[in-house]
Amino acid sequence: MSWKAILRKMREYPAIVGFVGIVIFFAVLSDRFFTLSNFLIILRQVSIQAIIAFGMTIVIISGGIDLSVGSILAFSAVVLAGFLKSGSVFVAILMALLVGAAMGAANGFIIAKGKIQPFIVTLATMAIGRSLTLVYTQGMPITGFPRSFRFIGRGDIAGVPVPIVIMLSLFALMWFILHNTKLGLYSYAIGGNETAAKLSGVKVDRYKVVIYMISGVLSAVSGIILTARLNSAQPTFGVGYELDAIAAVVLGGASLAGGKGNILGTLFGALIMGTLNNGLNILNISPFYQQAVKGIIILIAVLLEREN
Amino acid sequence: MDYILEVKGITKIFPGVVALDNVDFDLKKGEVHALLGENGAGKSTLIKIISGVHRADKGTILYMGKPVSFNSPTEAMKAGIATIHQELNLFEDLTVAENIFVGSIEGFLVSKRKLINVADELLRKLNFNIKANSVVKDLNTSEKQLVSIAKALFLNSNVIIMDEPTATITEHETNILFNIIRDLKKRGISIIFISHRLEEVFEIADRVTVLRDGKLVGTVDVNSTSRQELISMMVGRKISDMYPKYNVLKEKEVFSIEGLNIGRMVRNVSFNVKEGEIFGIAGLVGSGKSEIALGIYGYMPAKWKQMKVAGKTIDKIKSPDQALKEGIAMVPEDRKTMGLVLELDVMKNIVLQNVKEVENAGVINWRRAQKMASEEVEKYSIKVSSIKQKVKTLSGGNQQKVVLAKVLRKAPKVIFMVEPTRGIDVGAKVDVYKIVNNLANAGIGVVFISSELPEIVRLCDRVMVMHRGRSMGILEGAGITQENILKLATGVDVK
Repeated sequence: MSWKAILRKMREYPAIVGFVGIVIFFAVLSDRFFTLSNFLIILRQVSIQAIIAFGMTIVIISGGIDLSVGSILAFSAVVLAGFLKSGSVFVAILMALLVGAAMGAANGFIIAKGKIQPFIVTLATMAIGRSLTLVYTQGMPITGFPRSFRFIGRGDIAGVPVPIVIMLSLFALMWFILHNTKLGLYSYAIGGNETAAKLSGVKVDRYKVVIYMISGVLSAVSGIILTARLNSAQPTFGVGYELDAIAAVVLGGASLAGGKGNILGTLFGALIMGTLNNGLNILNISPFYQQAVKGIIILIAVLLEREN
Repeated sequence: MDYILEVKGITKIFPGVVALDNVDFDLKKGEVHALLGENGAGKSTLIKIISGVHRADKGTILYMGKPVSFNSPTEAMKAGIATIHQELNLFEDLTVAENIFVGSIEGFLVSKRKLINVADELLRKLNFNIKANSVVKDLNTSEKQLVSIAKALFLNSNVIIMDEPTATITEHETNILFNIIRDLKKRGISIIFISHRLEEVFEIADRVTVLRDGKLVGTVDVNSTSRQELISMMVGRKISDMYPKYNVLKEKEVFSIEGLNIGRMVRNVSFNVKEGEIFGIAGLVGSGKSEIALGIYGYMPAKWKQMKVAGKTIDKIKSPDQALKEGIAMVPEDRKTMGLVLELDVMKNIVLQNVKEVENAGVINWRRAQKMASEEVEKYSIKVSSIKQKVKTLSGGNQQKVVLAKVLRKAPKVIFMVEPTRGIDVGAKVDVYKIVNNLANAGIGVVFISSELPEIVRLCDRVMVMHRGRSMGILEGAGITQENILKLATGVDVK
C-alpha cells in the first residue's frame, strides 16, 4: 500500500488512528499498560458498552437516536433475574431478550407511526423503562444465580473471556447486516434521505421498528452479560450508558444527522473510551479528571472530522 | 470608465478539476449581463469568486477601476456587490424589515417601529408590494426575492448577482421580477443574471457570456445572436432538434382516474392515458400539478372515485411501495431532496429501488448489484468515474439520469415524471426527451408534468392544464400552444 492509500484509509477510520495514538501514549508512560492481560481486561470492560453502541450505530445511521438503551438494559436484567430465581437459565435469557425486543419495537412503532422525533420518544421510554425496573424490583437488587449462568459473565472460551466472544460475534453479525443486507442498505438510505427511501418503495415504518428492535435486543444482551458478571441485577444498571454509546458511535465517524457511520468505527470508538478509563487508572489519575479527558477527546474527534 | 466590473484571466483550481481557466468577464454600468453555461461550466464558481466566497488562484478583478480581492461575501456586500442566491438566505421567522436591516443595525437597542417605518418607505419607493411587518415565512418565493433585492438596494449595491432567480417562480412573478430588473437598470445598477432559460435571456439581458468546461466561449450582444447560436456555444455542438419526437400513439388505455381529490390542492380531476402516449400536465406553481403525481403514487393521502391501471381497478394506494407493485412509477420533482440519497454512491442509489433483483433472503449479492449498476450507467451514458462515486458529486444532469435509471430499471405500466428537466443543462435535457420518447415507444403511458411550456408543447400528445387544483381542460393536437396553456393556467377559458 502506498503512503497515500494508507493516509486515505486513516481518514476513513479516524477512530482506529485515535485508538493507536492513545495506546502508544499510555504504553510510553506505563510498563503495566501494554500487556496481553491488560488488553483482555480492557476488552472485557468495553464489551458491555460496545454491544449497546453496535445497536446505537444502526439507529444513528438510520437518522435516529435511542436514549432508552440504559433503561432497556436494566429492565431486561431484572426480568432475567426474576426468571432465573424461578426457572431455567434458557427461559430467563429468552425472556430478557424478548423484553429488549418488545421495548425496542415499541420505540420504533411510536416513532414511525406517531411521527414523533426519536429523541423525544426514547427520552420518554427511558423514563418509563427505569420506572418499570424500580417497580419490578421495589428498588432492591436481585442477587445469587446458578453457576451455569454466571459463566456468561465470568467464563472463558479457550482463554478468551465469554463477554469478549459475544461482543466480537455481535460485531461480525452487525458488520454483515450493515454491509451485506437489505436492512443495512435501507438503514443508510433512511438516514441519508427518508423521503427518497420512501419514494423508492422502502417500507420505512416497518424498517424503523426493526432497527429500534435491534437496539433493544442488543441492550438486553448487555444486561444479561452485566448481570452474569456481577452475579446481581440492580435497578440502577445502565444509567448514563446511552451517552457512552452515542459517544462511541460519534467517535467512530458517524453523523448524528444520519446516513453515515460504520460498525468498525464504533468498535474502536468504544475501545478509545475503555482504554482511556483503563490507562488513566493505571497512571493513577484522579477519576475526577477522567470525564473531562473523555469530553475533550470527543470534541477533538468531531473537530477533526469536520476538517474532512 | 463605463465598466463597473472587469474580471481578467481568472483561474480557479479545485482538487482534481480546473473550475475556471483564464476567464474574462466584464460588466457595464446599468447593464443586465446574462451568464450561460451547462451545469459544471463554471458559472457558480465565477460568481462565487466575484462575490468573495472563493478566491481566484490567478487573475485580477477590477471593481470601479480598482483591483479588489474580497475575503468574504460580507466584504463584497459592503463594497456594493450583492448576491441573491437561489436558496434566498433569509431569516424565515423574522419580519421583512428585520431581514432588510440585519447586519447593518448599529448599537444594542432596536426600535421595531422605526425599522418597519424605514423599511416600508424603502419598499414603497421601489414599488414593491410587500408589507415590512410581514413575517418572511408567510411570503411566497417571488416575494422573498423582492426582500433580498430590497436588502441589496438598501446597502447601496452597484452590482446585483441573481443566481437562477426564475427557477422556482411562476411566469407571472417572472414578469414582475423583470419589470423590477428594468427599473434597476434605469437607476444605473448592473445585474449579472444566471438562468437556464434562453427565452428569458433574450427578454431581459443586454449581453450574454457563455462558459463551457470552465473556459470562456464568448460574450455576445443579445441583439446580434440567436437561440441556436447560444445553444451551440453552450454545448459545443449543434443540436439540430432539441425535441426529438417519434412515439407512435396506440389506442389502448393504460391508466385512467376519475374524481381525484387531494386535500384542498387537487379537486375532482379526471384523465386517462393511452399506451405509448405522452400526456402532459401543465400549470403554475401551486396549481396542484405535482400533487397529482404524489397522490396517485401513494405519498400524499388521496381519494378517487375510480382508478384503473392496465384494466385493473385500484381502490386505494397506501404507499409508494404499493404503487410500484401496481406498475405505477414516479420520477419526483426534486432529485436532491426526493430522488436520491446524496451520501450514497451511484450503485447503491440504483439498487435502493431494485433490491429485489439482487437479494436473496435479505442478503444482497453485491456482484449482481455491480453488474446492474454498470448496465444502467452504460445504458443512460451517465458520466461517472466509477459506480462507487457518491451521487452528490455528480452534475445535475447526471444525477437526474441516476434517478431515471433507478426508477426505470423495472418497467412500469404508467410513469409520472415531475419536472424531469428542471435545472439540468441543454444536453442532458435532450437526453431526457429521448428517454421519454423511448418509454412511450415501449408502450408505457407517460405523464409528463412540467412548468416549462416549450417542452410540454413540443413533446406531449395531449395536455391537461391545471388552475387552482382543478383541471381547466385537455388540449389536443394543434390546440397545444403556449398561449392556450397560459390562458388556461391563469384561469382564462380558451374559446
